[in-house]
Amino acid sequence: MAKFVTIGERLSTTAPAVNKAFTARDPEPILKRAKQQLDAGAVYLDVNIGPAETDGEDLMKWAVQLLQSEFDNVPLALDTSNKKAIEAGISVYNRSKGKPIVNSADAAGRIEYVDLAAANDAIVIALCNGEGIARDNDERMMYLQTLLERGMEHGMEETDLWFDPLFLVVKGMQDKQMEILEFIKMISDMGLNSTGGLSNNSNGMPKHIRPIMDSALVAMCMMQGLTSAIVNPNDLRLMETIKSCDVFKNNTLYADSYLEI
Amino acid sequence: MPFTAKSGKFNAKINTVEIGTGDKAIKIGGENVLPFYTFDDAIENAPKVGIEITDGGMENEPECIQARYEGCATVVDMAKKAVTFEGVDFLSLRLEGGDPNGKNRSTEELIQLVKDVADAVDVPLVVCGCKNVEKDAELLDKAAAALEGRNAVILAAKEENYKTIGASAGLAYKQIVGAESAVDINLAKQLNVLLTQLGVDGKSIAMNVGTAAAGYGFEYVVSTMDRIKAAALSQNDNTLQMPIITPVASEVWGVKEAVASEADMPEWGCQEARGIDMEIETATAVLASGSNAVILRHPESVKTIKTLITELV
Repeated sequence: MAKFVTIGERLSTTAPAVNKAFTARDPEPILKRAKQQLDAGAVYLDVNIGPAETDGEDLMKWAVQLLQSEFDNVPLALDTSNKKAIEAGISVYNRSKGKPIVNSADAAGRIEYVDLAAANDAIVIALCNGEGIARDNDERMMYLQTLLERGMEHGMEETDLWFDPLFLVVKGMQDKQMEILEFIKMISDMGLNSTGGLSNNSNGMPKHIRPIMDSALVAMCMMQGLTSAIVNPNDLRLMETIKSCDVFKNNTLYADSYLEI
Repeated sequence: MPFTAKSGKFNAKINTVEIGTGDKAIKIGGENVLPFYTFDDAIENAPKVGIEITDGGMENEPECIQARYEGCATVVDMAKKAVTFEGVDFLSLRLEGGDPNGKNRSTEELIQLVKDVADAVDVPLVVCGCKNVEKDAELLDKAAAALEGRNAVILAAKEENYKTIGASAGLAYKQIVGAESAVDINLAKQLNVLLTQLGVDGKSIAMNVGTAAAGYGFEYVVSTMDRIKAAALSQNDNTLQMPIITPVASEVWGVKEAVASEADMPEWGCQEARGIDMEIETATAVLASGSNAVILRHPESVKTIKTLITELV
């Protein structure tokens, strides 16, 4: 099995400092956050430029070139609702370290992002929901099938669709958590890849609790066959848990210094 | 539907390490396929064959090997002769007389020998220690200094002395650092991590992951090498992408099948033939398991293994 793929989430316009740097095309804060994430072991970096309706194409190109030239063609997830911006980003993207990821499609209004990924030989994060959150795993599976068929129709490799079960917040939806874990197993049993914004589970919890909840959940998810997650790689406890689970799953060979590499 | 063969080449590859300088320099590693899987992709650098002599000179060799070095009075004479044998890519000098529990020869004396041998030949060099970790730290540190500019392999740094040998061979004198573990895959990885954390360039490391003569716990050797290559290639583990050099001679020429005389074991037949057989069998097996270079002692084994490699790659 391949090593768990971490996608660093910290380059996002939801962070005011990043938003400002994107707007001003100021490389310094972007590179600093990117380096922090890569040093901590992130494999992919998510580049969330927000809706970017006016200058998205220019901005995404700038961000892709900036990050890949500075960090040896680091693989990236291109995250925006502006499809043209994603295409613009892919047009300047270097694939030597991995295909670009289109973040993201769903089975309703955003299904065309699958087509976009197919047309550009990219990976796509495919959210297993339609209009609103799926009621149960039957509905999630129906959305998964819709997305999978769409990808197949457009000639994608099925392993290039990374299915996102949509992690739910514990505070409010505690009774749904096991269902998500069961769904991850279903994805895994079908031989498909999976990912998701795992830290959503601990939204609204005290800051010191979140790494504990996230780590416990990632371990349970990896047991169920989750192959990737969009995470904060600077959460040390979480990264240590992922590296340890990779050892148990025989995804990486153990050495005494495994946490340092 | 027509059958379409799927290539088994990997997206990862073994590091290419150059040993020696000038026209005689050799490269090991660089492959992105399993050992000898040339049908999956071309193997960039065929495995290399080295010949070993020791500081003990003629008297340290079994009679059958002495015969091949007829007329050689000194270790330097032997070195000059050794590099003329067919199939030799590099020379290995084993300083086993340095062992405090053996002859305990002084570091000064042995380093002078290293210099004399190095001056006498222009092929790539491997210097092996005496297996005593304290003495090796001293001996191999000095050997790395004495061979500055020769891009030699210093075999080897172990868990107990990697700091001294790594700093000397890897950082100060820019040699190739041999990283030795004894058939322990986790330690093989750990030692590479420790050396790179020390600042040694991962591309200047070659591993000796341990060996045994065929039949002597050899299945552990094979599975260790198999798993290292699997982690390096299929999991793209860059802490295990160092090429492997396996000193076969020092294991083989110590087991009874190779050393028992014909007088003692008449039913086993010719001693020389047995020794050569053991050496060839062991070398073939470690090459098939992923070794990028082997070190042998009998000129006939060198020639045979070289032919085997040439035919397969």
